Amino acid sequence: MSAHAPPRPGVPVSLQNLHKRYGDHVVLEDVSLDVAAGEVVAMIGPSGAGKSTALRCTNLLETPDGGRIVVGDQVVDAGAGVSQADTMKLRRTAGMVFQSFNLFPHLTVLRNVSLAQERVLGRSRRDADARSRELLARVGLESKADTYPGRSSGGQQQRIAIARALALDPHVMLFDEPTSALDPELGLDVLEVMRELADEGMTMIVVTHEMHFARDVSDRVVVMADGGIVESGPPAQVLADPQHERTRRFLRAVMDR
Amino acid sequence: MSLLADWWEWLPSLLRGLLLSLEIAAVSIVTGVVVGMGLALAVSAQNRLLRAVAVVVVEVGRGTPALVVLQLVYFGLPSAGLTLASFAAACLALGLTTAAYTSEILRAGLQAVPQGEVEASQALGMGRRDTLRYVVAPQGVRIAVPALMGFSILIFQGTSLAFTISVTELLSRAYSIGSATFDYLSVIALAGLLYLAVTLPAGWFVRRAERRMARHL
Amino acid sequence: MTEVLAAIALGVPSTVVVTALAFAMGAVLGVPLALARRSGPAPLRWLAQALIDVLRGIPPVVWLFFIYFGLGNDVVRIEPLVAGTVGLGLIASAYLAEVYRGGLLAVHAGQQEAAEALGLSPGTTLARVVGPQAVRVALPGAATYLIGLLKDSSIVSTIGVTEMVFRANAVSRSTGDGLMPFLVAAALYIVLSAPLAWASRSLDARLRRRVAR
Repeated sequence: MSAHAPPRPGVPVSLQNLHKRYGDHVVLEDVSLDVAAGEVVAMIGPSGAGKSTALRCTNLLETPDGGRIVVGDQVVDAGAGVSQADTMKLRRTAGMVFQSFNLFPHLTVLRNVSLAQERVLGRSRRDADARSRELLARVGLESKADTYPGRSSGGQQQRIAIARALALDPHVMLFDEPTSALDPELGLDVLEVMRELADEGMTMIVVTHEMHFARDVSDRVVVMADGGIVESGPPAQVLADPQHERTRRFLRAVMDR
Repeated sequence: MSLLADWWEWLPSLLRGLLLSLEIAAVSIVTGVVVGMGLALAVSAQNRLLRAVAVVVVEVGRGTPALVVLQLVYFGLPSAGLTLASFAAACLALGLTTAAYTSEILRAGLQAVPQGEVEASQALGMGRRDTLRYVVAPQGVRIAVPALMGFSILIFQGTSLAFTISVTELLSRAYSIGSATFDYLSVIALAGLLYLAVTLPAGWFVRRAERRMARHL
Repeated sequence: MTEVLAAIALGVPSTVVVTALAFAMGAVLGVPLALARRSGPAPLRWLAQALIDVLRGIPPVVWLFFIYFGLGNDVVRIEPLVAGTVGLGLIASAYLAEVYRGGLLAVHAGQQEAAEALGLSPGTTLARVVGPQAVRVALPGAATYLIGLLKDSSIVSTIGVTEMVFRANAVSRSTGDGLMPFLVAAALYIVLSAPLAWASRSLDARLRRRVAR
């Protein structure tokens, strides 16, 4: 699309034996997932399966009741109580993109992308703004830099959100249903940006309903249901010839739409 | 029309009283909102002791009638070593009341900021203080502004209670004139009109601000 | 301390009576005001709005002085309790009219349309369809106002009604203690409002359960 920053190698991610429950409701039941550096994993499955929860545990937006989270060389054990410092370090390594974009409406697009660079990485305003413009150009939205998010379409806002997350030079990118709130057409641009990221070697975990993305871009598809991982494998195999009845049932419902 | 003649005669004194009412209101509102913001943050603080103290201050401040707070500050504080002149006592009393009520208004405003933005800020690695300072507070305060303005009008009305602690504001001047002329009806009516001269335009202004706020959100 | 408490507590009945009567008056008078504001010929709507604005725009104590010293001296002899209750009641009607208006606005326009399509008369529509739903929305606001009115009842002490603040002042003057009587009074107000606040919260919860099916 435009000037590319030099590709940044992603780091491996390992979720080990994650448990989480809300009262009587078990959300995550001994979930373990290993993601290699630069691997793109698509997480699919019915609502309430625990996909988003597992994703949000990865950067500790939710704290699992038990288990271990490894991102690159950051290791966090949930059971022992997690320190604020460890949480911050983890979040600096993993960038997250949300279903509802969550841009800051009272700041310009440029400021949205620069703010965390200044506050978290300690970059000067000038350096942060320069990097922000680079990233906005990369997602094709440099012209929007001095406008407010409300003036952009959903697809544009999501691309800005991706730029905002990339501004911190993460080594892992977490996507929580990035295109679910978008019209299919607007979603295409976002998926294109995600595809480029994948090509550059970023480690990505993507919770999605977009089967095309799962099939064409991801290296591995992980199916979750009822708090556990049901099936995991290359997209061609999982999507075309699923081994488990649960997966078959889910795919049938999705494809029928 | 001797009524209008009377009104013309009483107007200067009443206007001086109105000015004093406005001054008390201004001081109380400004200091009260600042303290209120502190209370709003303290009520959701991590420190349990701070939280408890703040909650008690807010609940007592909101649960006690303004008239009682005025009496407490003016008549009660001297026993605790602090003697204040009427004007200062009125400002302190109404300021405390303002702080207690506005802390709840501000807290509601801060909570109205979408949780998703707080999560995005956290995901970016920003700590609680930065999230509050750059994401939550700017929007939360803006959301609270119409309610704060509406409350300010009530505080201005509340200055009329200060006559009970010898402040020569608008109502007390009207009453003095009334007891001198034995004609309370017309002078209090004039005082009422002067209050309306402030509260009516202020109320319209607040409603316009509310509508503009609703359009942006 | 107990003598102080006993002396001030003598004012509780007056406080409660003033609050209850003023609220009742406001709750009843607020209805025609709200209806006039909402659906009536333009001059009536304008008059209702003006009435509401004037009642809410002048401080309550000024209204009380106007009624007790103004009308009370020149026009007709009025008891402090009556003047205080009527004054607060009129102001309450203005505030509650606005609360009712909020409740009426919250009812979906579709309800009115459906009632009309079914051929129900305006009176029946209001009483059986729109009204009950509006009340459900307005109830929390009215409860909040009641709790506020309990505190505002203290204002009638300025025209000589022997409720809690009046008595606290009397005790303070006779004992020379400016602190304790008012602290006791404050505590009494907080204690009196606690059951109201609790009732309001449980009413809220019960209403929410009913509606969210």
